[in-house]
Amino acid sequence: MNNSNFSRYAPKSSIDIGVFLCKCGGNISDTVDIERLKTSIDAKVVKEFENLCSIKCQKNIRDIILEEELDRVVIAACSPITHEKTFRNQVAPLNPYLLEMANIREQCSWVHSDVDKTTDKAISLTNAAIERVKYARPLDTIVRKTKKSAAVIGGGISGITASLSLAKQGIKVHIIEEKPTVGGNMIKIGKIFSPEKLAEECALCLFNPLINEAVQHKNIDIITNAELKSSQRKAGNFNLLIERKPTFVKEDKCTACGNCAEVCPVEVPNEWNEKLMMRKAIYKPFPQSVPDVYTIDEENCIKCGKCQKVCTMNAIDLKMKGENIPLNVGSVVIATGYKGFDLKKRPEYGYGRYQDVISQMELARIMGVNGPTNGKLLRPSDGKIPRRVVMVQCAGSRDEKPGGNRYCSKVCCMVALKHANFIRRYYPDTEIIICYTDMRTPGMYENYFRHVQSREIKLIRGRPGDITKNDDNLIVRVEDTLRGEQVEIETDIVVLSEAMEPSEGTLSVAETLNVSLTEDLFIKEKHPKMKPVTTDVEGIYVCGTAQGPKDITDSVSQANAAASKVSEIINGGLEIEPTIAVVDHFKCEMCGDCVRSCKYKAIYMHDERISVDPIACNGCGMCISKCKNEAVEVMGQTDSQIFAMISGMLKDKKDGERRILVFVDYIGYVASDNIGINRISYPESIRIIKLPSINRLMPKHIIYAFENGADGIFLGEYPDDLIYPAIKEKVQEIRSELIKNSIDLDRLMYYKVYAPYFRGLASKLTEFDKQVSKALDKLEPVLYKASSKDL
Amino acid sequence: MNTFKIGENTFELAESIIKDLKASDNLGILKCIQCGMCTSTCPAARHTDYDPREIIKRVLDKDETLIKDDIIWNCFYCYTCHSICPVNNSACEVNQVLRQKTIDNGKGKSKIAPFSEYADSYLESGLGTIPSDFFSDLIKDYGNEWIELKANLEEIRKELSLGPMLLPKKDIEDINEILEKTGFTKRLERVRRCKDEKDTR
Amino acid sequence: MKKIPDKEILLFKSCLVNVEYPGVESSTKFVFDKLGIEYTISERQSCCTGLGHYADLFDQFSTTALAARNFGIAREEDHRNIATLCATCYAILKKSANILNTKDNVRRQVNKIFDGSGISDLKYKVEDIDSRDNIFHTTEIIYNKADKIPDLVEVDLSGFKVAAHHACHYCKVHHQDTIGNPRDPMVIETIAKACGVETVDWYDRKTNTCGNGFRQRYMNKDLSFSVTAEKLLSLKENEVDILLHMCPNCQIQFDRNQKVIGESLNTEFNIICLNISQFVALAFGADPYKVVGIQTHTVPVEPVVDKIKLINPVNEV
Ligand code: SF4
Ligand code: SF4
Ligand code: SF4
Ligand code: SF4
Repeated sequence: MNNSNFSRYAPKSSIDIGVFLCKCGGNISDTVDIERLKTSIDAKVVKEFENLCSIKCQKNIRDIILEEELDRVVIAACSPITHEKTFRNQVAPLNPYLLEMANIREQCSWVHSDVDKTTDKAISLTNAAIERVKYARPLDTIVRKTKKSAAVIGGGISGITASLSLAKQGIKVHIIEEKPTVGGNMIKIGKIFSPEKLAEECALCLFNPLINEAVQHKNIDIITNAELKSSQRKAGNFNLLIERKPTFVKEDKCTACGNCAEVCPVEVPNEWNEKLMMRKAIYKPFPQSVPDVYTIDEENCIKCGKCQKVCTMNAIDLKMKGENIPLNVGSVVIATGYKGFDLKKRPEYGYGRYQDVISQMELARIMGVNGPTNGKLLRPSDGKIPRRVVMVQCAGSRDEKPGGNRYCSKVCCMVALKHANFIRRYYPDTEIIICYTDMRTPGMYENYFRHVQSREIKLIRGRPGDITKNDDNLIVRVEDTLRGEQVEIETDIVVLSEAMEPSEGTLSVAETLNVSLTEDLFIKEKHPKMKPVTTDVEGIYVCGTAQGPKDITDSVSQANAAASKVSEIINGGLEIEPTIAVVDHFKCEMCGDCVRSCKYKAIYMHDERISVDPIACNGCGMCISKCKNEAVEVMGQTDSQIFAMISGMLKDKKDGERRILVFVDYIGYVASDNIGINRISYPESIRIIKLPSINRLMPKHIIYAFENGADGIFLGEYPDDLIYPAIKEKVQEIRSELIKNSIDLDRLMYYKVYAPYFRGLASKLTEFDKQVSKALDKLEPVLYKASSKDL
Repeated sequence: MNTFKIGENTFELAESIIKDLKASDNLGILKCIQCGMCTSTCPAARHTDYDPREIIKRVLDKDETLIKDDIIWNCFYCYTCHSICPVNNSACEVNQVLRQKTIDNGKGKSKIAPFSEYADSYLESGLGTIPSDFFSDLIKDYGNEWIELKANLEEIRKELSLGPMLLPKKDIEDINEILEKTGFTKRLERVRRCKDEKDTR
Repeated sequence: MKKIPDKEILLFKSCLVNVEYPGVESSTKFVFDKLGIEYTISERQSCCTGLGHYADLFDQFSTTALAARNFGIAREEDHRNIATLCATCYAILKKSANILNTKDNVRRQVNKIFDGSGISDLKYKVEDIDSRDNIFHTTEIIYNKADKIPDLVEVDLSGFKVAAHHACHYCKVHHQDTIGNPRDPMVIETIAKACGVETVDWYDRKTNTCGNGFRQRYMNKDLSFSVTAEKLLSLKENEVDILLHMCPNCQIQFDRNQKVIGESLNTEFNIICLNISQFVALAFGADPYKVVGIQTHTVPVEPVVDKIKLINPVNEV
């Protein structure tokens, strides 16, 4: 057969190949007739060794390469998984990618016993490697040059922690904060809980030193009042555009004297105090704000100019314009935090209707010394100390109804206990009742729970249905599920434990950066267990509540993890295997099909060009099968290499012999090796070919294999969440191509492989061999012969 | 004391309810967290011994006495529980299925017998009406004007320029045929028999 | 929010409206005409089985088959957007449409019955009627035109304090399709506000059932009334003059039983019950007797009519 694709890549005529055979101290030579193998191979040099991997032999190889002026090398020995790296390092001055290995141990001598058949198979495996190596091209490892700088989006506890860690590792950090001050949610909370401690700690006292350190650090640049407008990836770096809104106050001049605020006629609720207090249109969010300057909120300012007149520093400029700041960074950390659940979505609880129904965050403000009541617990409606406080857990959490969140917000049980503890300590006459569905205080926090219980708090197991008000009290209606009784609880204050939801900033940043979200709209990690803090876009990381509900303790450790990931990519001087996709810009029509197909988001459009991020690309080849113009190739897995491998595997097939090609991904290959390591056998017909993913295969490869004498094709791949749907599609595509070519579908099999289930794989291979043999028997021999003659 | 025997499928009852045509898709019985939110909003729970959370618990424990328990007849079918349950369960639908089960088993038929006349009117005219058995009681509560209204209905409807209430004859026949074939007519007969027995008793 | 149509509407008659508050139908027609809504009524349409269904008399399959027949009629009339006057019809039809669209065996069985009954023309095809896109409550149709209402108001009703009772079978059964927050839909209030009246937007027990409870009103009257009483007491506390409805069943519960419940509590409520379409019709200047049909109400609506006369002599009817 004359495959146009194949011939296009025909190698230069005279290539000198050296083949080195390893006996592996009998491991191979006991079942493979090395003499016959040697004589059946067509190469310039064929040499056998007792133990190829020994230092001495390795040196020998190098000498022969030099002596014989070899162009390419094939090593027929153990699995490439074991020693490919070793041999690649030994072939210098040859380019390491001009070496190919034939796995005649794990996948040949260890799984078969019949010397004749095993030797036949070893010959064909070696032949395949020879064919393939002819098409190998020299490749250079890619060294990624990532800028030694990062953008951290969000200046809360997570963002500040990550920034400090990065700055201390010598990385330049830009913190982008949308509010006029950094500090995020943590700075609003008066007291915080910590594991193993039975007392609360002062949030500001813990956080402020960190903020100050960040402000003073030479590697940290804080941009407040700013938002991420756009982002472009370029050669592993990011070009960001930051929009800084005008603050109308010159930062370098303002001394924060506050004269302006005194004369400003506009009063609006202060969001930093959960709108429990008022502020002016020109304001400083809170005394410890960073940067320590006043700012004008554009929305509410009426531009009367009064503040300008009293400002002795001439710091106010009502005509100030916003600015766009371009940043070029090597990495981005998303630390955009959370927002509290909008409690008005549960109108039956009366939030917004009854003044004394408040959220936990509002209670935190009320009890903060710098809050609306200077830290005194007073009922909002009448300023009296409440006789009783009822807390309602899971408000908006663990609730599948519209507007609610199905997840547990994780922190609210502890938040409620913290506030309960605090109130019971300082207001012993105030009763606490917590209505809960489950109290969740895992790990060390259970100690704290016990401690708070001993302060006499009442726990009622039940989720309240509604909250109403009579003349003086609120009334919470709930079933005490442990007694099976409906109760009405009179109370002065109700505190709803609001759910944690992704902030608006999280959603918009995800969109701008093209980072995926979870079903619950938090930033999605590449693999929640094995690849935490890594998003699906290489070089972008996430930490804190932008990734999911969590407390400060977890946020801090996640922030440090994100920082170390950034440093890994920036400081690592990463050498990357060159086996990645490359785009031929002459053939590329910029249709973008490849961009849409890539599950790793490694291929992207930039400046009217398709680019590949070498770190993100894992060479799976998905893009190739989607490109109509054949403009993409995966280095080391070119079409010609694959075709060569196939034809090599099928070369010199004897009459009546069966050959089955097994295409597997890395995991499939490891599982296959494991079969050998455990000396389990399967039929000699099996020939295993390793690919980055079976997504790399196209129907043309399969048809080519059948036309060249393959009796069956077996596809095996680990069903990774990310690419599994594409694999299913691929298998479907191949099946319909077989139907078109009237090839019996029984001659194809797809199987999900798992590294530890090699026994299953072995029996699947055996079963498939039988299935193929049956399929061939029932085939009209004429038809089969005809099609193979047609070639 | 109740013993949970090994090998006993305690989810049978729950499963049969989930499969019922009356149950919504993805009815969350199995996900019930016994939070009691249903009960705290349930009108029947407020005024009787009925407790929707407990009904769900009993279903999950395959408590088959539930089917014969009069307690299930307290539900209003107000769907309040259904609309707020955090796991998309619905005591309301569970009750509806349980009642159908007891109707099929026999016991429930007498419970619905008083309403059989509603179906009679449906078969007669394609319209349901309040069974006349209840009239005397209703007049006591509603007052005589109500019965006058019934008498003058045609006239009032004319005054309001409304079209005819009754369906064309052919359509009523169609409806009868449909209900015959769905098995409803037979079911109705059985319910009626139950009523007659009661009446003669 | 879901898309609400203003044409090709089949105004789905309700058996309780027919015999208890026929003025609800005539008011709806009056209001629809004023708002330029295109609709038709079919005399072939049967009752949804409502009361019988929820009194456990009808099985789900029979109810679904009858709904399929009505859907066939809507299709033949070329008016596929069904708008119900009653919340129970709304819930039952939506449930039936869902079953017919998703349960192939039920649909097949129903169609077989239709074939055998000589009404093959009414057979149901998947997605003939979509629960969300084709089945509405008449109140939603009016709500959708709320911004046109102020221009059409001829009568000043602002002296009355009104509150809403959203029927459970409108807002709770298919809660994902309820306009606004199903836990407190402000559909009726929005329309009433557009008519220029003050509304009590929240009162204790607002989202409670009316207490009818289908069988409960007839078999467990005391239970039924204690639930209705809770709500009436809260309305009284909030000094509500008019309670606005969207379902004849709830309206009966509050209107016809109000007196006895009051007597048992030694109080008088005098809360006028009107369907929201009756209320809008009044605001649009409709005749209280010839259109709004207040003569069938138990709690006299006359105080409203009298006040209309006083406030707006020009519009005297
Ligand atoms: S110009 Fe704006 S900020 Fe300044 S005083 Fe006037 S309103 Fe306040
Ligand atoms: S942490 Fe507690 S209150 Fe918060 S959602 Fe989880 S269980 Fe509910
Ligand atoms: S509201 Fe739902 S989850 Fe809670 S007890 Fe009732 S049925 Fe169970
Ligand atoms: S539907 Fe039944 S169980 Fe549910 S709240 Fe209403 S009366 Fe209670």
